[in-house]
Amino acid sequence: MSMLTVSNLSRYFGGLAAVVDLSFTMEEGEILGLIGPNGAGKTTVFNMLSGFIVPTSGEIVYQGRRLNGLKPHQICNLGLTRTFQVVQPFPDMTVLENTMIGAYVRHRNTADARRKALATLERVGLREKANTLGRDLTLLELKRLEIGKALASEPHLLLLDEVAAGLKDTEIEDILTLVRQLNQEGMTLLIVEHLMKVIMNLSHRIIVLDFGKMIAEGTPQEISHNPAVLEAYLGQEE
Amino acid sequence: MKKVWKQNGFLAIAAVLLLAAILPLFAGEYALHIAVLVLLYAYLSTAWNILGGYGGQHSLGHSLFLGIGAYTSTFLFTKAGLTPWLGMWIGAVLAGLVGWFVGYLCFRYGLKGPYFALVTIAIAEAMVSLTNNLNAIGGAMGLEVKWEGNEPLLMQFESKAGYYYIILGMTIMAIWLVHWLSRQRFGYQLVAVRENEDAAEALGVDTLRTKIQASVLSAILTALGGTFFAQYFTYINPRNVFGEGPSIQILLFSIVGGLGTVWGPAVGALVLVPIAELARGWLGGSFAGAHLLLYGAVMVLVMLFMPKGIIGLYESLRQRLNRNRPAPEEERRSA
Amino acid sequence: MIFSYELLAQALVTGLLIGGVFALISVGLSMIWGVMKIINFAHGEFLMIAMYIAYFLTAKGGWDPYLTILVTAPTLFLVGALIFQSTIRPILKDPSMNQIMLTLGLSLILQNLALVFFKADVLTSSTAYTRMNLMLGPVVVRGSQLIAFAGSALTAVFLYWFLQKTEAGRAIRATAQNRDAAALVGVDVRSTYLLAFGIGSATLGIAASLMIPFYYTSPTVGLFFGLIAYVVVVMGGLGNFIGALAAGLIIGLTESVGAAMLPGSLSRVLTYGLFVVVLLFRPQGIFGGKRQ
Repeated sequence: MSMLTVSNLSRYFGGLAAVVDLSFTMEEGEILGLIGPNGAGKTTVFNMLSGFIVPTSGEIVYQGRRLNGLKPHQICNLGLTRTFQVVQPFPDMTVLENTMIGAYVRHRNTADARRKALATLERVGLREKANTLGRDLTLLELKRLEIGKALASEPHLLLLDEVAAGLKDTEIEDILTLVRQLNQEGMTLLIVEHLMKVIMNLSHRIIVLDFGKMIAEGTPQEISHNPAVLEAYLGQEE
Repeated sequence: MKKVWKQNGFLAIAAVLLLAAILPLFAGEYALHIAVLVLLYAYLSTAWNILGGYGGQHSLGHSLFLGIGAYTSTFLFTKAGLTPWLGMWIGAVLAGLVGWFVGYLCFRYGLKGPYFALVTIAIAEAMVSLTNNLNAIGGAMGLEVKWEGNEPLLMQFESKAGYYYIILGMTIMAIWLVHWLSRQRFGYQLVAVRENEDAAEALGVDTLRTKIQASVLSAILTALGGTFFAQYFTYINPRNVFGEGPSIQILLFSIVGGLGTVWGPAVGALVLVPIAELARGWLGGSFAGAHLLLYGAVMVLVMLFMPKGIIGLYESLRQRLNRNRPAPEEERRSA
Repeated sequence: MIFSYELLAQALVTGLLIGGVFALISVGLSMIWGVMKIINFAHGEFLMIAMYIAYFLTAKGGWDPYLTILVTAPTLFLVGALIFQSTIRPILKDPSMNQIMLTLGLSLILQNLALVFFKADVLTSSTAYTRMNLMLGPVVVRGSQLIAFAGSALTAVFLYWFLQKTEAGRAIRATAQNRDAAALVGVDVRSTYLLAFGIGSATLGIAASLMIPFYYTSPTVGLFFGLIAYVVVVMGGLGNFIGALAAGLIIGLTESVGAAMLPGSLSRVLTYGLFVVVLLFRPQGIFGGKRQ
């Protein structure tokens, strides 16, 4: 059984079709990339997977469990955690406390949660900033924290939303390395990303959305030569 | 915090507690009265702070719970002779139910900020009108706690010392509870909900349940204070327990002292109540609202110049001094 | 519960007339909160100030109550502008909670200043209009209330025209929608906020002058009307003047009919209960507002 099965997922906002009849699966341990032009529906897919938006129709099944209608916190507790494209820290809490919120998903005890959070901060390179308030971080630090919070919740499936946006090249490399490491350790990842080089380098497989519909699915190699994909991004080819 | 400071902290608290314990031995009745008021409002404000400061849901109608506690125990005492020591728990349960109900309604429908504030005001004002018309519980005339003499078992005392010790105990308990909760999963999650509800939800926090729990806890504690309120002042009516006066005072001290901090409400009460009482004493009958005028001015000034309250001010000064402090090897957060 | 058709008819008429005044009190708030997103919990106390001014001019100065508008409206504009500049503008960008708390503090100050200066007395002025009544069958239509209703309607229409047709009004609407964009096209954003707040306060001056022939003033008169204003604004939809008018009438009817049918002050419970229901299930107002 696949880890994640999405069947005929659709979401309409009034008359506007944000996602139409999307179907795909994810296997354990893979990195699936989700790309598409602006407004293609990627964030809506994320929001539906993580429970922030209810699908208009279709099904989401995660490890045999139907996710439709579950609230975000329930989905997170099941092992599917997402990050946000626009980072969402807890501004008046320290980096450590921010991460502890994630850790509390698996650890009820404060001391355990703190320990887990510290270890996670070590992982994402924020150990030194443990006592800094969320509001005082740089963008790169905020991005790391965003990943760290999610990591601390020990997900089996991690949804990363445009984690590289706004970062410099060197910073992006750092994030990439981290993500690769996580995957090597067994984490399954669904990544939305705009930067082609990031997604091409990381993903095992890629899904392309345009106007809410899937227009292509395959390996990075296949996708980069797919005429439909090129057309969606670049307009009509001569 | 360094170990030395922490030890000093404990010593300081112990010293204060010792002083508090022996206060009645050398303080006069008037001084004790002020002490009772300080403690009562510190207690009520601490209870409010759970939902308002930590939870970030600013209830402007918390007098609802104060009144439920006050009226329940007083009514049961007046009509059935039930000692307030038991009546207070019935009031607390009632308030808890109401707190759950109001919390569920408001948070289930996503009320926040000014909308939530307005609902709480409307409910409290509705209670004033309702009780004004319920003659069974005294109507507009209210209820009086009949004086039976010095009866500790009926929560009535000849001298202020008896009341003082009760409210002292309640306040210590409440502050300790908040301190303890702030270091539990619930406390962290509650603050996270306040700071960023979506992010909290995405990290496995049941935000609805957390907010409701805060509402229930706050309601229960406030209602217990309501019974004490009734016993101490011996007279309650719709306006003085359900009205906006108590609601505003309850939240005022948290704001002045520092929202979402353990000691904020107590600090706020300690600073403001004596001044207000002195002002009321001076101007006395010629000006009934002196202390409210003062409170109003304080609120305006605090919002303009130190919205994080006294403790917030202290913290930001401390941060500025400690800017380059590295993260400790083993982080152990203390009070 | 006493019931008679005459009583009901009377309550309906009075309710409609009072509803017009409720609408007027709220229209200023609808602009300030709905359009400018400024929360002023001292709105009722501004009305109280105006009512005291109107009272003293009529009762002690012998003025015709409706002429007092010439004093109350500009005075309230100034008061509003002053308070806005000194206390509210500095915290406009702060969380809404801060605005709520600050203006709550203001309301305490104003209420208790009134207590100092005027004591807790309930003051009514009796004017020529007080006894002017029309008879519509069994129903007494108080002339002063009818005039108040007409005055409210006029003011609401004028306010609407001002916002839609004048440059200043357009500036206000633009700033409310997008202050940065408005600034870019040359709108003086600071002055606009000030103007909007001043005008919103001035409408309370007009309302007070219209009310003084049939309503009393006291330090706590702002408590009730302030809350009513919020009820009406929410029900009508933030920034929706027509909605405020309609909601004002509904609340006026609720209060009036409730007072006639229910014992004591239970009509209040009805009104506040309605408010809570609207807040829970339709916070954008019965008629939908410009913004949530």
